[in-house]
Amino acid sequence: MLVFTRRRRETIMIGDGISIEVLRIGRDGVRLGVVAPPDVAVHRKEIYDQIREANQKAAAAPQDLGAVAKRLRQRA
Amino acid sequence: MTSVLSTRPSIERPTSVTEELPPEIARDAVRFPNGLPGFEACRSFVLMQSDVLGPLQLLKAVEGPSASFLVIDPRRVLPEYRCELSQADRHRLGVSAGTDALLWLVLVTIELDGTVTANLRAPVVINPERMTGHQVVPHDCVYPIRHVIAEGE
Repeated sequence: MLVFTRRRRETIMIGDGISIEVLRIGRDGVRLGVVAPPDVAVHRKEIYDQIREANQKAAAAPQDLGAVAKRLRQRA
Repeated sequence: MTSVLSTRPSIERPTSVTEELPPEIARDAVRFPNGLPGFEACRSFVLMQSDVLGPLQLLKAVEGPSASFLVIDPRRVLPEYRCELSQADRHRLGVSAGTDALLWLVLVTIELDGTVTANLRAPVVINPERMTGHQVVPHDCVYPIRHVIAEGE
Protein backbone atom coordinates (compact mmCIF):
# COMPACT_ATOMS: atom_id res chain seq x y z
CA MET A 1 0.00 0.00 0.00
CA LEU A 2 1.24 3.45 -0.90
CA VAL A 3 0.96 5.85 2.01
CA PHE A 4 0.91 9.63 1.54
CA THR A 5 0.81 12.58 3.86
CA ARG A 6 -1.50 15.24 2.39
CA ARG A 7 -2.56 18.60 3.75
CA ARG A 8 -5.78 20.48 3.05
CA ARG A 9 -6.16 21.42 -0.65
CA GLU A 10 -3.50 18.88 -1.65
CA THR A 11 -4.31 16.19 -4.20
CA ILE A 12 -3.34 12.66 -5.20
CA MET A 13 -3.43 11.72 -8.88
CA ILE A 14 -4.21 8.15 -9.94
CA GLY A 15 -3.61 7.23 -13.57
CA ASP A 16 -5.16 9.46 -16.21
CA GLY A 17 -7.98 11.64 -15.01
CA ILE A 18 -8.52 10.48 -11.44
CA SER A 19 -7.71 12.92 -8.66
CA ILE A 20 -8.55 12.91 -4.98
CA GLU A 21 -8.30 16.19 -3.11
CA VAL A 22 -8.35 16.73 0.64
CA LEU A 23 -11.04 19.38 1.09
CA ARG A 24 -11.37 19.53 4.85
CA ILE A 25 -9.83 17.80 7.82
CA GLY A 26 -12.10 17.45 10.81
CA ARG A 27 -11.78 15.79 14.16
CA ASP A 28 -13.74 12.68 13.14
CA GLY A 29 -13.26 12.59 9.42
CA VAL A 30 -11.61 13.85 6.29
CA ARG A 31 -13.68 15.34 3.47
CA LEU A 32 -12.39 14.24 0.08
CA GLY A 33 -13.25 15.42 -3.40
CA VAL A 34 -12.92 12.81 -6.15
CA VAL A 35 -12.71 13.64 -9.84
CA ALA A 36 -12.91 10.61 -12.13
CA PRO A 37 -13.95 9.84 -15.72
CA PRO A 38 -17.60 8.77 -16.02
CA ASP A 39 -16.65 5.16 -16.74
CA VAL A 40 -14.85 4.86 -13.39
CA ALA A 41 -17.13 3.89 -10.53
CA VAL A 42 -16.55 5.76 -7.27
CA HIS A 43 -18.31 4.38 -4.20
CA ARG A 44 -18.16 4.47 -0.45
CA LYS A 45 -16.91 0.96 0.18
CA GLU A 46 -19.40 0.16 2.94
CA ILE A 47 -22.36 0.95 0.66
CA TYR A 48 -20.95 -1.19 -2.13
CA ASP A 49 -20.39 -4.01 0.38
CA GLN A 50 -23.99 -3.74 1.64
CA ILE A 51 -25.34 -4.02 -1.89
CA ARG A 52 -23.02 -6.91 -2.69
CA GLU A 53 -24.27 -8.75 0.39
CA ALA A 54 -27.90 -8.03 -0.54
CA ASN A 55 -27.26 -9.31 -4.08
CA GLN A 56 -25.77 -12.53 -2.76
CA LYS A 57 -28.88 -13.12 -0.63
CA ALA A 58 -31.13 -12.29 -3.58
CA ALA A 59 -29.34 -14.81 -5.82
CA ALA A 60 -30.28 -17.72 -3.56
CA ALA A 61 -33.85 -18.18 -4.76
CA PRO A 62 -35.96 -21.13 -3.60
CA GLN A 63 -37.51 -23.65 -6.00
CA ASP A 64 -41.19 -22.94 -5.34
CA LEU A 65 -41.17 -19.55 -7.04
CA GLY A 66 -44.66 -20.11 -8.35
CA ALA A 67 -46.03 -20.18 -4.80
CA VAL A 68 -44.19 -16.98 -3.89
CA ALA A 69 -45.43 -15.23 -7.03
CA LYS A 70 -48.99 -16.36 -6.26
CA ARG A 71 -48.70 -14.92 -2.77
CA LEU A 72 -47.61 -11.57 -4.26
CA ARG A 73 -50.48 -11.60 -6.78
CA GLN A 74 -53.00 -12.30 -4.02
CA ARG A 75 -51.58 -9.47 -1.99
CA ALA A 76 -51.95 -6.94 -4.83
CA MET B 1 -40.96 -18.28 -20.31
CA THR B 2 -40.53 -15.45 -22.75
CA SER B 3 -37.73 -12.99 -23.04
CA VAL B 4 -39.21 -9.62 -22.16
CA LEU B 5 -37.08 -7.55 -24.48
CA SER B 6 -37.67 -9.77 -27.47
CA THR B 7 -39.41 -8.28 -30.46
CA ARG B 8 -39.84 -11.70 -32.04
CA PRO B 9 -42.83 -13.94 -31.41
CA SER B 10 -42.74 -15.23 -27.89
CA ILE B 11 -41.22 -18.65 -27.33
CA GLU B 12 -43.24 -21.08 -25.29
CA ARG B 13 -41.20 -22.34 -22.40
CA PRO B 14 -41.91 -24.64 -19.49
CA THR B 15 -42.25 -22.91 -16.15
CA SER B 16 -39.00 -24.22 -14.72
CA VAL B 17 -36.54 -21.38 -14.30
CA THR B 18 -33.52 -23.58 -13.89
CA GLU B 19 -33.48 -24.92 -17.45
CA GLU B 20 -30.82 -24.04 -19.96
CA LEU B 21 -31.76 -21.14 -22.18
CA PRO B 22 -32.27 -21.74 -25.86
CA PRO B 23 -29.94 -19.71 -28.12
CA GLU B 24 -32.87 -17.67 -29.49
CA ILE B 25 -33.34 -16.10 -26.07
CA ALA B 26 -29.64 -15.66 -25.39
CA ARG B 27 -29.51 -13.32 -28.37
CA ASP B 28 -31.66 -10.88 -26.42
CA ALA B 29 -29.02 -10.58 -23.76
CA VAL B 30 -28.52 -7.27 -21.98
CA ARG B 31 -24.89 -6.29 -21.43
CA PHE B 32 -23.92 -5.33 -17.89
CA PRO B 33 -20.38 -3.98 -18.46
CA ASN B 34 -19.63 -4.04 -14.73
CA GLY B 35 -21.73 -7.03 -13.77
CA LEU B 36 -23.57 -6.59 -10.48
CA PRO B 37 -21.85 -5.98 -7.13
CA GLY B 38 -20.79 -9.44 -5.94
CA PHE B 39 -21.35 -10.82 -9.46
CA GLU B 40 -18.84 -8.74 -11.36
CA ALA B 41 -18.08 -11.58 -13.81
CA CYS B 42 -21.74 -11.82 -14.90
CA ARG B 43 -21.67 -9.44 -17.84
CA SER B 44 -24.69 -10.59 -19.77
CA PHE B 45 -28.26 -11.25 -18.61
CA VAL B 46 -31.63 -12.09 -20.08
CA LEU B 47 -34.85 -10.85 -18.53
CA MET B 48 -37.64 -13.41 -18.54
CA GLN B 49 -41.26 -13.44 -17.49
CA SER B 50 -44.07 -15.93 -17.35
CA ASP B 51 -47.64 -15.98 -16.11
CA VAL B 52 -46.61 -18.29 -13.29
CA LEU B 53 -43.85 -15.94 -12.13
CA GLY B 54 -45.72 -12.61 -12.40
CA PRO B 55 -45.49 -9.99 -10.96
CA LEU B 56 -41.91 -11.17 -10.56
CA GLN B 57 -39.51 -11.49 -13.46
CA LEU B 58 -36.26 -13.38 -13.68
CA LEU B 59 -32.93 -11.77 -14.51
CA LYS B 60 -30.66 -14.62 -15.47
CA ALA B 61 -26.94 -14.48 -16.21
CA VAL B 62 -26.03 -16.05 -19.55
CA GLU B 63 -22.30 -15.36 -19.33
CA GLY B 64 -19.86 -16.04 -16.53
CA PRO B 65 -20.90 -17.83 -13.31
CA SER B 66 -24.51 -18.97 -13.19
CA ALA B 67 -26.68 -16.56 -11.25
CA SER B 68 -30.31 -15.56 -11.43
CA PHE B 69 -32.25 -12.90 -9.62
CA LEU B 70 -35.91 -12.31 -9.07
CA VAL B 71 -36.81 -8.74 -9.93
CA ILE B 72 -39.93 -6.59 -9.82
CA ASP B 73 -40.99 -3.19 -11.12
CA PRO B 74 -40.33 -0.91 -8.12
CA ARG B 75 -43.52 1.05 -8.79
CA ARG B 76 -45.51 -2.10 -8.10
CA VAL B 77 -43.91 -2.03 -4.67
CA LEU B 78 -44.01 1.72 -4.10
CA PRO B 79 -46.04 3.73 -6.64
CA GLU B 80 -44.14 6.96 -5.91
CA TYR B 81 -40.73 5.28 -6.33
CA ARG B 82 -38.25 7.63 -7.93
CA CYS B 83 -34.49 7.43 -8.16
CA GLU B 84 -32.09 9.87 -9.79
CA LEU B 85 -29.37 8.66 -12.11
CA SER B 86 -25.98 10.29 -11.81
CA GLN B 87 -24.08 11.44 -14.86
CA ALA B 88 -21.82 8.40 -14.48
CA ASP B 89 -24.88 6.08 -14.36
CA ARG B 90 -26.25 7.66 -17.54
CA HIS B 91 -22.90 7.30 -19.22
CA ARG B 92 -22.74 3.62 -18.31
CA LEU B 93 -26.20 3.00 -19.73
CA GLY B 94 -25.49 4.97 -22.88
CA VAL B 95 -28.49 7.22 -22.20
CA SER B 96 -28.75 10.01 -24.78
CA ALA B 97 -30.33 13.37 -23.94
CA GLY B 98 -33.01 11.92 -21.70
CA THR B 99 -35.01 10.50 -24.60
CA ASP B 100 -34.40 6.82 -23.96
CA ALA B 101 -37.14 5.00 -22.06
CA LEU B 102 -35.42 3.09 -19.29
CA LEU B 103 -36.58 -0.09 -17.63
CA TRP B 104 -36.38 0.01 -13.83
CA LEU B 105 -36.25 -3.15 -11.73
CA VAL B 106 -35.35 -3.97 -8.15
CA LEU B 107 -33.93 -7.22 -6.84
CA VAL B 108 -36.24 -9.37 -4.73
CA THR B 109 -35.06 -11.62 -1.91
CA ILE B 110 -37.09 -14.46 -0.44
CA GLU B 111 -35.84 -14.95 3.09
CA LEU B 112 -35.75 -18.26 4.97
CA ASP B 113 -39.07 -17.61 6.74
CA GLY B 114 -40.75 -16.69 3.45
CA THR B 115 -40.57 -12.93 3.93
CA VAL B 116 -40.25 -11.28 0.52
CA THR B 117 -38.18 -8.10 0.37
CA ALA B 118 -37.14 -5.73 -2.39
CA ASN B 119 -33.89 -3.80 -2.59
CA LEU B 120 -35.21 -0.32 -3.34
CA ARG B 121 -31.83 1.21 -2.55
CA ALA B 122 -29.93 -0.14 -5.54
CA PRO B 123 -32.20 -0.50 -8.60
CA VAL B 124 -31.18 -2.27 -11.77
CA VAL B 125 -31.67 -0.01 -14.76
CA ILE B 126 -31.80 -1.28 -18.35
CA ASN B 127 -31.61 0.84 -21.47
CA PRO B 128 -33.55 -1.25 -24.02
CA GLU B 129 -32.31 0.86 -26.94
CA ARG B 130 -28.70 -0.01 -26.23
CA MET B 131 -29.39 -3.31 -24.46
CA THR B 132 -27.15 -2.22 -21.62
CA GLY B 133 -27.82 -2.56 -17.93
CA HIS B 134 -26.37 -1.32 -14.69
CA GLN B 135 -27.12 -1.64 -10.99
CA VAL B 136 -27.15 1.81 -9.45
CA VAL B 137 -25.06 2.12 -6.29
CA PRO B 138 -26.41 5.44 -5.06
CA HIS B 139 -24.45 7.93 -3.00
CA ASP B 140 -27.58 9.17 -1.30
CA CYS B 141 -30.84 7.27 -1.32
CA VAL B 142 -33.85 7.39 0.98
CA TYR B 143 -35.03 3.87 0.14
CA PRO B 144 -34.09 0.79 2.17
CA ILE B 145 -32.10 -2.19 0.93
CA ARG B 146 -34.61 -4.47 2.66
CA HIS B 147 -38.15 -3.27 1.99
CA VAL B 148 -40.72 -5.91 3.00
CA ILE B 149 -43.32 -6.55 0.29
CA ALA B 150 -44.85 -9.68 1.84
CA GLU B 151 -44.53 -11.07 5.36
CA GLY B 152 -43.34 -14.62 5.98
CA GLU B 153 -45.58 -17.41 7.25
